[in-house]
Amino acid sequence: MLKNDLITKNPLGAFSAEVSGSDSNMRMGLVMARAGLGKTAILVQIALDNMLKGRQVLHVTIGQNIQKTKAWYDDILADIASGCEDQRLADLQYEVMRNRMIMTFNESSFSRPKLEERLNDLIYQDIFRPSCMVIDGLDFATINRQAIEDMRDLQQQAGMSLWFSALTHRDKTEVSAEGVPVPCNEVADLFETVILLEAQSEGDSKIFLNVLKDATGCVEPGKSLRLDPTSMVVWGTTF
Amino acid sequence: MKKDLEKVRNIGISAHIDSGKTTLTERVLFYTDKIHAIHEVRGKDGVGATMDSMELEKERGITIQSAATYCTWKGHDINIIDTPGHVDFTIEVERALRVLDGAVLILCSVGGVQSQSITVNRQMTRYKVPRIVFINKCDRTGANPQRVADQVCDKLKLNAVFMQLPIGLEANLEGVIDLVTMKAIYFEGDNGEIIREAEIPAALVAKAEEKRELMLDAASMFSDELMEAVLEGTPTEKMIMDAVRTGTLSLELAPVFIGSAYKNKGVQAMLDAVVRYLPAPADIENIALDINNNEEEVILQSNPDAPLVCLAFKLEDGRYGQLTYIRTYQGTMRKGDTIVNSRTGKKVKVGRLARMHSNEMEDIDVAGPGDIVALFGVDCASGDTFTSPEIDMSMSSMHVPAPVISLAIKPIDNKAQGNMSKALNRFTKEDPTFKTFVDHETGDTIISGMGELHLEVYIERMKREYAAEVHVGAPQVAYRETITKMAEFNYTHKKQTGGSGQFGRVGGYLEPCEEKEYEFVDKIVGGVIPREFISSCDKGFSASLAKGALAGFPVTNVRCVINDGAAHSVDSSDIAFQLAAKGAFKEGYGKAGAVLMEPIMKVAVEGPTEFQGSVMGSLNQRRGMIIGTLEENEYTVIEAEVPLAEMFGYSTDLRSMTQGKAEFTMEFAAYRQVPKSVSEEVIAAVKKKADEEKK
Repeated sequence: MLKNDLITKNPLGAFSAEVSGSDSNMRMGLVMARAGLGKTAILVQIALDNMLKGRQVLHVTIGQNIQKTKAWYDDILADIASGCEDQRLADLQYEVMRNRMIMTFNESSFSRPKLEERLNDLIYQDIFRPSCMVIDGLDFATINRQAIEDMRDLQQQAGMSLWFSALTHRDKTEVSAEGVPVPCNEVADLFETVILLEAQSEGDSKIFLNVLKDATGCVEPGKSLRLDPTSMVVWGTTF
Repeated sequence: MKKDLEKVRNIGISAHIDSGKTTLTERVLFYTDKIHAIHEVRGKDGVGATMDSMELEKERGITIQSAATYCTWKGHDINIIDTPGHVDFTIEVERALRVLDGAVLILCSVGGVQSQSITVNRQMTRYKVPRIVFINKCDRTGANPQRVADQVCDKLKLNAVFMQLPIGLEANLEGVIDLVTMKAIYFEGDNGEIIREAEIPAALVAKAEEKRELMLDAASMFSDELMEAVLEGTPTEKMIMDAVRTGTLSLELAPVFIGSAYKNKGVQAMLDAVVRYLPAPADIENIALDINNNEEEVILQSNPDAPLVCLAFKLEDGRYGQLTYIRTYQGTMRKGDTIVNSRTGKKVKVGRLARMHSNEMEDIDVAGPGDIVALFGVDCASGDTFTSPEIDMSMSSMHVPAPVISLAIKPIDNKAQGNMSKALNRFTKEDPTFKTFVDHETGDTIISGMGELHLEVYIERMKREYAAEVHVGAPQVAYRETITKMAEFNYTHKKQTGGSGQFGRVGGYLEPCEEKEYEFVDKIVGGVIPREFISSCDKGFSASLAKGALAGFPVTNVRCVINDGAAHSVDSSDIAFQLAAKGAFKEGYGKAGAVLMEPIMKVAVEGPTEFQGSVMGSLNQRRGMIIGTLEENEYTVIEAEVPLAEMFGYSTDLRSMTQGKAEFTMEFAAYRQVPKSVSEEVIAAVKKKADEEKK
């Protein structure tokens, strides 16, 4: 029961039934924010939403270790589950673990060919067949358009949804036509969906998740969710 | 003359397998003049390291038993326990950490924080042991102390602060820079015994200044005096050392030192750090429970004149007879004194007292607070507390993990039978994680322990030390049974065989209980089962747990609730209600969705990236669930959870699959339900075996 509760009670679930791609697996998405605003938390929630619906997710982390990444899942899961009556969290963590694989790379050792090789290792030996992949920690400021096109190519070939996180900078104000900021403003066309996390201070600090772009037509651009600033779990729609 | 307790250090040396613990200890003994020649682990001279005294240890190049020794360094007495790295011998680490005041956590400069380092660090945290970090093997290709220190912060959650910088790395490792004195230290002579201090090489001055800044920032968090002095630009060496010591003792700082024990570099500086930053016995708060005062906690005083309190942490039956390793916390123990074992209440006379140096010893007359000594001929169990007769206190015992793997053994002849019994008697006494019992149905002797290597070592020792040759059966996993749903029972035990009969009815239900192995709940109202028979029901239920109806494995995580029943004024008795409860359990168990549980191991395979695909495949074939992979340069760590039943023989497979370039470690993670198809196979195999034995 907890699992069903989680799917229905997870506020992102209502939103991400559209966004994280239940029917539109062939989506490439991007979560952008300044440092510390909760990019990883959103990626983890997108991944969790997929996993709880029985899909396998490959979580690729660049520059962080397995335990730290695993801790994100445990914390967010515990947070979402805390409001549910049935507290068999251990069973749920096990279920999540079965549908998740974490792959961590050094910044210097990450590349598309390497990722593809690892992915093929998993798929050809029938170890793990992800239908969603999240890549956290890729430095968009230092990679070129070709590298992202390569990743898109990989996503299309593998037939899965692929989500990235990207770090924005306060001092760089250029944006694309859809409002996608630096460093992704010039590659925004490669993504179907772009989400921006923004902090607004209105007495107490609030964090909003804004959909800047959604080429799949599932979500209307301009749709927004409010995040709990401590747990980074979505609170509810605000529009 | 009273010993200056400020100048005593009880330290442990712990780390992942093959990080160089024993090699480092060998250097420590050499530089402190305890030994006069250095012998290597698996060295070409065939002597082996001093601390690996057991023949098997020398052959295999691993430490199996923790060994105690002591030495003196710059006027300080240092008791050292060198512990095994392999997780199968984890009890040795637990025992050592329970009685030590401080520890040196060794990490390999190439391998970094490996799986066993995380386990050892967790054990140190459990016993609140202050630690310093020594990044060893800096002479090896790929050495990267900065990466290792980052991992210490990241994976071990320690506040790692460099106290030294290396001068050169890999083959160019020349010495270290001390960031407190801002001097370069070189280790010269054939065995690095000559220490030469010099100015910091010009090329490293800027980096040393930068790292010193960071060190001062971290240290000044523990001393206002240092903080002010840093702001004024006048910190003294003493101020820095005092602040680092305060931080280390509060477990909020982990000073990092650098070197290569094998190349004789950095060991003396690490010894300096042991006496500077690790605690003296009086710096640590040790607690005992006062048995006569509702087990109230009492803080022990490192006072030689106070009543004696000491803990037996390790037993060994060696060539000197029964040896009991003891750590004294309070008071003084003298030869001829009478002490009391607080668990049994038995009085024991202190016959012979000795200080151990690996497998050699030195007789002493007195042991005071902080001392680690050995007693001869004392009958006790590991973890027993000994006190002066006038007090009755007990120290909390150690964490003992449950065994996960079993083997059936059969002596080859009558002579071996007697010797095997002697050996098993000794091993079970020495090692609480090693258990043995006789399976009454098969007549086999079953030994259980923490892993294949653990049992393999004991079988080998039986053969070598006791001439007990045994036939060894296939390893058996310690399966368990549990229930998945609530089920009611209402069972009447009735027997009339002339004279007074037996009658008892027990009604209630069984349900899963995640928090406890077993819980008995009495919800009887109106006295339908008389009070005197309630405990009989409890006994009957708990006896039923020993063997589940599914496949005969122990049953766990069950709550037995009784809420109804009936008794007869003449025929009801203790035994009648025990039998009624057993029948009730059987009835309920059949309807409660019983399942088989198996031990799942956390496995970490480390090796070159080129083998990653095949290693992942091999784990997958063994029903493993891959948690994640960590890829750094050409080196990969794969973390997985794999059923223990599938891990037998994995070391051979891994070796052949990776040309011997990968290694793995595993430790118990949890018990989980066995998949249905596998469960059916296990149950069928158990039944087949039972049928064969009946024939």
